[in-house]
Amino acid sequence: MLKYTIRRIIGMIPMLLLISFVVFLLAKAMPGDSLSGEIDPNNTDPQYIEEMRERLGYNDPIPVQYFRWVGGFFQGDFGTSTRYKVPVADLVAERLPNTIFLGVSSLVITYILAFAMGIYAGRKPYTLGDNLIGGLNYLGLAIPSFIAAVFAIYFFSFNLGWIPYSGSVDPTLQPGTFDYWLSRAHHVLMPAIVLGALATASYTQFLRNDIIENSRKDFVRTARAKGTPTSKIYNVHIMRNSIIPLVTFLGFDIATLISGAIITETIFTYPGIGQLFLSSVTNRDYPTLMVITMMLSALTLVGNLIADILYGVVDPRIRLD
Amino acid sequence: MVNVTADPNKSQEKTINMSPWAIARRKFLRNKLAMISSFFLLTVIIVSFLAPYVTSADISKVNIMQMSLEPSNEHWLGTDKSGRDVFTRLLYGGRVSLLVGMACTTLVVLFGTIVGSIAGFYGGIVDSVLMRFTDFVLNFPFLVFVIVLSTIFYGLVDGLTILIAVISLLSWGGVARIVRSKILAEKENEYILAAVSIGCKPSKVIIKHLLPNVLSTIIVQSTILFAGLIVAESGLSYLGFGVPQTIPSWGNMLSASQESDVLSNKPWIWMPPAIILTVTILSINFIGEGLKDAFNPKSQR
Repeated sequence: MLKYTIRRIIGMIPMLLLISFVVFLLAKAMPGDSLSGEIDPNNTDPQYIEEMRERLGYNDPIPVQYFRWVGGFFQGDFGTSTRYKVPVADLVAERLPNTIFLGVSSLVITYILAFAMGIYAGRKPYTLGDNLIGGLNYLGLAIPSFIAAVFAIYFFSFNLGWIPYSGSVDPTLQPGTFDYWLSRAHHVLMPAIVLGALATASYTQFLRNDIIENSRKDFVRTARAKGTPTSKIYNVHIMRNSIIPLVTFLGFDIATLISGAIITETIFTYPGIGQLFLSSVTNRDYPTLMVITMMLSALTLVGNLIADILYGVVDPRIRLD
Repeated sequence: MVNVTADPNKSQEKTINMSPWAIARRKFLRNKLAMISSFFLLTVIIVSFLAPYVTSADISKVNIMQMSLEPSNEHWLGTDKSGRDVFTRLLYGGRVSLLVGMACTTLVVLFGTIVGSIAGFYGGIVDSVLMRFTDFVLNFPFLVFVIVLSTIFYGLVDGLTILIAVISLLSWGGVARIVRSKILAEKENEYILAAVSIGCKPSKVIIKHLLPNVLSTIIVQSTILFAGLIVAESGLSYLGFGVPQTIPSWGNMLSASQESDVLSNKPWIWMPPAIILTVTILSINFIGEGLKDAFNPKSQR
């Protein structure tokens, strides 16, 4: 197991290098001068511009520039944002907690809702409640997240006024107080639900089908014959077996959350990584763009790795080596 | 009494003589939800592709006199902020959205099937190289790279072509993986050995013997993909990185809701595309479910 994990982590290194090369080339291919933002805009003297380009290394051969960029990564130097004039690392560090908070809340909400609905529907299949949950699931799978977000803002923010539709916290509150955290939770609630809708629907469906399937197995019949209470059969015997496959979904969720966060954060104007990414594209802030793209790609790789490893951990029948 | 007990046997007998495709067709035709969805989807496709014949209104003309009108007899769904008829734009937008979805699905399925079947059939080093490449493509966060790529090519080539190319380029990995695993299982059968041993060319074995046997999986996959790719197109267009703003598409029409005035006070501008998009995706999903069920020999219906 450990050997496999280490081998997979080592296998990630060439993949990351390859991705970094693609990201670098793409950033070079993007329209505009990726360093033009660092040159003083008030001084348009062509000679000065040429001098600056030379000093910033913009005239060096592409491989030299690439190795300088990657070398900076290893030394913790992620470049300077051409728009905000601050190190990209600071910019990302400022936004990252918001995105992590959003992602974690979304996962928690997904698990709570999916377990509640999945267990109910699995215990009472083909009843009215099950059909209602099934219908909700179909909607959850079919409605694109940005449409769900737009409808949510329209109904809950504008018409009912329950939930704020922008920002991550009420700016008037002091950080650290109870009200501050309450306000953060309030702001994150709707984006988190929208972001997790798809995962909730697929989890619920999976859990329901798995519980129904397991309830027909021999070990359930044995437990019933022994006189085990029904609730214990469902909550202990069946649940243990049905949760296992769900664990493996966690890794894939990381990848889904990344893509989902870009759209959701933009709609709710939630100041996170996804919003920073889109603004860096529109502002041609290439150093920021490159770092975020690398970060999201690396996260996707880690997500896939976690999925593969968990697969082997929860199901010993799958041999990883 | 005799008749009643004999009935199930009779229908059982009937299916025995039918080809798998005929059984699947019969199952699908009996699936009410899937049939209603197919009918709806077909209607949407036909009406939007016949848009120039359905309405005579001009989609590109900006009419300041008729800005943001509420739905009325003259404008069934009202007009948008530039005074253009929402209903007309909905039809033309459907044409673009469905076209992008179809084109992407075709390209993705074609490319994924080619890569997957070659990797699965040849195995060995060909398989490793192709699958490492597939993994490489799958490791890119989809939305991030579509946005970056479409920004690079923006203005260089026709916007719609680029969007289709970029979306397809990044989405074929899943199909390639599924087709490969199906081909791997299928090629162990004796009839493939027989075909190879009588001297069939690899291309013939793949096209004539292997692909028809994995076709049902490919069809089901392409339905799911179709829905997903329409969503991808409209999501990108909503963010402003998809179909060029000059061409109406459902996603472009929805991006009007980014203005809070439109969102809160003029729901007729953004609600129609939102609803039609959702119902279309829903019906494609139902068709996909129906097809999956129809091709599944274990399901009884």
